[in-house]
Amino acid sequence: MVGKLFGLELPEISMGAEVIFHIGPLPITNTILTTWLTMALLITVAILIRKRLSLLPDTFQSIVEIIVETLYNLVTGVAGEKLGRKIFPLIATLFIFILTANWMGLLPGFASIYREMEHHGEIIKVPLLRPANSDLNTTLAMALITVILVQVAGIAYRGIKGYLKEFITPTMLAPLMAPIHLISELSHILSLSARLFGNIFGGDVVLMVIFYMLPVLAPAVFMILESLFGFIQAVIFSVLSLIYFTMAAAEEAEH
Amino acid sequence: MDAKIAANLAAGFAMAIGSIGPGLGIGMGVSKAMEAIGRNPEAADRLFTPMIVGLGLAEAVAIYALVTALALIFVGGG
Repeated sequence: MVGKLFGLELPEISMGAEVIFHIGPLPITNTILTTWLTMALLITVAILIRKRLSLLPDTFQSIVEIIVETLYNLVTGVAGEKLGRKIFPLIATLFIFILTANWMGLLPGFASIYREMEHHGEIIKVPLLRPANSDLNTTLAMALITVILVQVAGIAYRGIKGYLKEFITPTMLAPLMAPIHLISELSHILSLSARLFGNIFGGDVVLMVIFYMLPVLAPAVFMILESLFGFIQAVIFSVLSLIYFTMAAAEEAEH
Repeated sequence: MDAKIAANLAAGFAMAIGSIGPGLGIGMGVSKAMEAIGRNPEAADRLFTPMIVGLGLAEAVAIYALVTALALIFVGGG
């Protein structure tokens, strides 16, 4: 959509990620590029910290230790020591990845560096970088990983029988309850992915519109809000996955 | 009516109606949290995280409306 606002031409905003180049037959979109950049940043930090790990931490190591320790205490506080230790890597990775990706999307260069692409014979301008979570595919992938692993955890902790039994409780209403349980499990995928995608993509569109309506000062306020939302969404995604895991694994103990 | 205009109109309605519920929900959540903090100021730190998660859940409903509205604007109506 190319709209006009106070005589200024709004850049094209598209709901899906745009293809920026091909590797062989594989189309590479701008969100994949951002995902790779995020991964590269996180892996570099991890390798750097791993190399200079020492008993007497310097400032850099202390900061990383505080982050990891806070996350560890949160996970084991909710899920308990036994389950918490097992799912801590996944939950912490989700949190750190989503937070880094969201905050990276606010850096200058995102949605401002354009590449000209030919699309159906027309030359269109395509942003080279786009926040990784403003693509439903990225968030859907993370939601699928979480929900499938929650099922795996349910089977591992309660056995296949206990896992299946969950779907037909209360037993009296089994034919009615089974589809409801199934839909409620599947709806986790939709709610996890759509929430993150909607927040980040919506925030991106709002920022773009504000930049064209009132380019002075107003964007700064929205940038602060967006960085807050980016953090909150990372917390919500990881805490909700943590709660799903805890619910899937721990219900047996109550009965 | 032109399909594009209809889609834009629908997007406006989706957002307007879709944000009533979450608005009420978030207001209720925060009001209760503030009440609790007023009664017991020491609990403020422990209330904060559950409140934020609850608000995120309530806000998610508005976000679904937002996704629908954006889909209508950018994709709907051809």
